Amino acid sequence: MELGGLGWIFAVNLIIWTGLFVFLLRIERRIAGLEAAGKGR
Amino acid sequence: MTRTISLGLRALLWLVMSTCIWGAFFYAWSDPAFVGQSSRILFFHVPMAWTSFVAYFAAAVWSARYLWGGRQMRHDRAAAAAVECGVLFGVLATVTGSLWARIEWGAYWNWDPRQTSIVVVLLFYGAYLALRSAMADREIRARISSVYALIALVVTPFFYFIVPRITESLHPEPVLNKEAKLDVDPRMFQVLIASALTYSILFFWIHNLRARTQALADAREDEPS
Repeated sequence: MELGGLGWIFAVNLIIWTGLFVFLLRIERRIAGLEAAGKGR
Repeated sequence: MTRTISLGLRALLWLVMSTCIWGAFFYAWSDPAFVGQSSRILFFHVPMAWTSFVAYFAAAVWSARYLWGGRQMRHDRAAAAAVECGVLFGVLATVTGSLWARIEWGAYWNWDPRQTSIVVVLLFYGAYLALRSAMADREIRARISSVYALIALVVTPFFYFIVPRITESLHPEPVLNKEAKLDVDPRMFQVLIASALTYSILFFWIHNLRARTQALADAREDEPS
């Protein structure tokens, strides 16, 4: 496989990982919000 | 922990994982014993398999804490979340392993001892999840599934670490071979170890989110209607 091919696969993996990371951050923010709302009651 | 430190640690995780991905493709050599560049999938497959074992081990620890640490439900929730994560990483390891097997051995599934043993463990923990879903009473569910998770940890290391070393397999030699010697190129080893540690940290983050979600669900269930 040429280096160009590896570059593409690396980029795709990085995009998948970054997408997962952002997704987890958003879930964490939502959970923190729900926990704070629960404590406030 | 302040929000800034928390975000900083997560940004560091993103950076370290990205570096591991870069290392998998541009730092480590492609093993000439394998077809083309296919050996690079091992930098994802092996850490996923390792992380699934870490998750199962963590489930047993939290199960023990539940049984002998005051029967606190948060320990049971943590154990269940760990098993869910372990199954997730186990499935990912099986899928990536099958993709690699297609390239190397010509078929996605070969009944290779290592392929088969990871699926046996997946079925074992799948049964744990099925057992939990069949019991409505939280305390009975927690007690029975804690005992199950502890028994499972007796079985799991056998399938993960013993079976690959006592059977003839199509699989490449493990990183620590039968003579307990490191049998891998140094650069490959560095990327493997870094990836395994990073995936393990990722597991603890996902686990934390899952356990907190379950705690919120339990709290909502307990609210007077």
